[in-house]
Amino acid sequence: MHEPAGTDPHWRDGPWQKAGQRLTAHRPAAAGLTVLAALMLAVAAGLVAGGGPVGAALAAGHQSLSFALLAGLGGAALGLLWGGAAVALGERAERMMMTPAAALTGLPLALALPLAGGLLGPERGLAPMAVVAALIAAPAVAVIARDELRALLRREFLSAVQAAGIPNGRRLRRHILPNTVLPLAAAAWTALPRALMAESLASLLGLGLPEGVTGWGTAIGAAARAGDAVALAGPALLLALTLWALHGVGDGMRLAFTASTPGGRR
Amino acid sequence: MSRPDDRAPLRVEGLSLLTSRDILLDRLSFAIEAGEVLALSGGAGAGKTLLLRALAGLAPKGVTVLGDIHIRGRRLLVTQDGALDPFRTLGAQFAELLSRQSGLDERTALRRAAEALERFQVPAAARRLALHPHELGEAMRWRAALALAMAAEPALLLADAPAAALDPTQRVRLLSDLAAWTREAGTALLLAGRPQADPIRSGLARSNLADRRLVLAQGRLEVPPAEPTPAPSPAEPAPSGPPVLSVRDLRVAFPLGRNWRGEERWLTVVDGLSIELAEGETLALLGETGSGKSVLARAILRLVPPVGGQVTWLGTDLAAAPPETMRRARRDLQILFPDPLAAFDPLMTIGAQLAETLESLHPSRSPANSAARLADALEEVGLPAAVLDLHPGALLPAEAARAGLARALLPEPRLLVCDEPAATLDGSERADFLALLQAIRRRRRLALLYATQDAAEGLRIGRRALVLLLGRIVESADSAILTAGARHPYSRALIAAAGLAPPALHGDPPSPLRPPTGCALRLRCPLAHDGCAQVPPTLDPVAPGHRVACHVAQDDAQNDAQVGGKAP
Repeated sequence: MHEPAGTDPHWRDGPWQKAGQRLTAHRPAAAGLTVLAALMLAVAAGLVAGGGPVGAALAAGHQSLSFALLAGLGGAALGLLWGGAAVALGERAERMMMTPAAALTGLPLALALPLAGGLLGPERGLAPMAVVAALIAAPAVAVIARDELRALLRREFLSAVQAAGIPNGRRLRRHILPNTVLPLAAAAWTALPRALMAESLASLLGLGLPEGVTGWGTAIGAAARAGDAVALAGPALLLALTLWALHGVGDGMRLAFTASTPGGRR
Repeated sequence: MSRPDDRAPLRVEGLSLLTSRDILLDRLSFAIEAGEVLALSGGAGAGKTLLLRALAGLAPKGVTVLGDIHIRGRRLLVTQDGALDPFRTLGAQFAELLSRQSGLDERTALRRAAEALERFQVPAAARRLALHPHELGEAMRWRAALALAMAAEPALLLADAPAAALDPTQRVRLLSDLAAWTREAGTALLLAGRPQADPIRSGLARSNLADRRLVLAQGRLEVPPAEPTPAPSPAEPAPSGPPVLSVRDLRVAFPLGRNWRGEERWLTVVDGLSIELAEGETLALLGETGSGKSVLARAILRLVPPVGGQVTWLGTDLAAAPPETMRRARRDLQILFPDPLAAFDPLMTIGAQLAETLESLHPSRSPANSAARLADALEEVGLPAAVLDLHPGALLPAEAARAGLARALLPEPRLLVCDEPAATLDGSERADFLALLQAIRRRRRLALLYATQDAAEGLRIGRRALVLLLGRIVESADSAILTAGARHPYSRALIAAAGLAPPALHGDPPSPLRPPTGCALRLRCPLAHDGCAQVPPTLDPVAPGHRVACHVAQDDAQNDAQVGGKAP
């Protein structure tokens, strides 16, 4: 009945490799990763080379991407902490903490960033804007993280671990935490496009990045006001491409890392 | 020159399906006569669905179809999910299909639709036609899908694993109704998938579902061997001695939050169950979805917290046991899960997980010793030692089931709680695994608690059996007694369904959130009378060692006793 496994190297691949294979097998995710890597290189190269409308668009990308990364990481950390704490603190706390998170995800939170930009005035610093962008991205991450953690805690292998008499601390360290890594990474990733989107919208209105810092949104806004189609095309295309790539990778991560079947087998 | 099967609705000669790399199906030849029911079984991935799609002219891209398929008349394929259009009412779907296929106007079509639903015992069929598919339960959706197919009067109906997700009593009833209709209408019916005839061999239930059976294996069609007379399981003496496991008034319920008046609502899953198990005894828990058998199995091992009652193992109350005592009890009490693959941590190798279990329950062993023990454990279940280095994702379902068994046997348990351990296996894999389980049980003199929805399997494995319905025991007796003459209508239905004979229950099971007053079965029971709605029946003896919770069965037993008493 049993054919000795192990002759085919594919069978030897561990779960991490398989998750990576599933991610790259998802076409938008593979394309998105390629695009993101190319953008990073191009932005770095553009900073060095500079000059021309392309160079300017790439330089603006540096500001936008740095801000999105900073705010996105902050939002992801906040969201993971929010969702994780809600699950860890028990049912009542979970309900109290997750009800506002779920309510907030339903609101057009992206509008809060230009609002904050307007309230902080033209002298606003980069840090408060990053904090507000992080706060905007956090609730959605918290909701996804909570759902993933709840699904994980329901999985059968944790019952099997319990039946083996393994103490709770070890169960958490050896079994729960490693299994949260990939689904939570997928949850955290959603903060990046959200932060980039919010920042670009606010900058487009002139209420985002502070004076002197030119992001894609700022460049698009300036070009639109000047009626300069050539200057508008570069940043607009790059922004659209980046958002598409971020969402593609996010979709791929969700499909590849949070497969409902254990071990990701289909 | 006319051959006898020239007029058959389906005649297949030398049908092969090829991709550029593989031969998927290899020169199949068979025919189905009008009014005949052919059951096609085969393991997962044997190509049943592919064959049906090819017969319906829907072979997937990249698959070459060779050979001849002769079909006389209209053919219809009911796919595995029994899909209906989610945006349109049943009536509209009937009307569209019938007007296109048979040119019927809407009124005639709706009348035909209501008649078709009534054939499947759908009450108030005409009113259901105004509903959308999502407003119907799973069982009702299947009835509608099959009724829709039959209303179009096909000459050949291809049904791909119909109603596979339903409980046995509902599924077998539905398939029996379908088979009766196709026989009457002269439709050839090809039933793929589940109905693996494994009838209980007592003469009590005789399957009349399919006329013929074919098995698809390795791309070839085989006629299954004549059913062997089952080796009579060696008569085991009733175990004596005090019970090792004793469960008293166990209650498990889950909170559902509060209702609008602020009252706590609870879903009671196990409702005051008591069982006792002696050393080396085998007890089957029979019941369908929502019967509480699985939760009971877990509550005994304290994987689910009970809200009341007592579980005692060797005189120790497990509910109050301190962690160290509980860990010692876990050496003796092990469990097999319904999805063995899901019961392994996907990120750790099988070896690491087995070693962890061993180390947790028998901490004193030396590393060399424990490595040898792991290899021995795998050998006992028929797996090579190479499996230790694999992650669960690389295992086939049959291997995962064996690996799960190896893990459960490592701490040398005295009681093995099995929660549908073969649920993911089919056909010969399932039979092999159950034979292995039985052999190991006998060799190790394990006590076994075996929860299953397949009455035939449960009665073969358990020396004694309990039938569970909505968290309560409705019948309890030796397996031999239940096989020969179960008293409770629900037990009879389960046993009939296991033998693929139509069970005598109608309708769908009640919601556990809103169980009926009185007897839980009364809305489906053919014997129910007014009294059944008043008081829930208690579990009372009707014969020595045979207890039933049914007003009708208890009255019958009393009458028998009185008649017997008057006779000289």
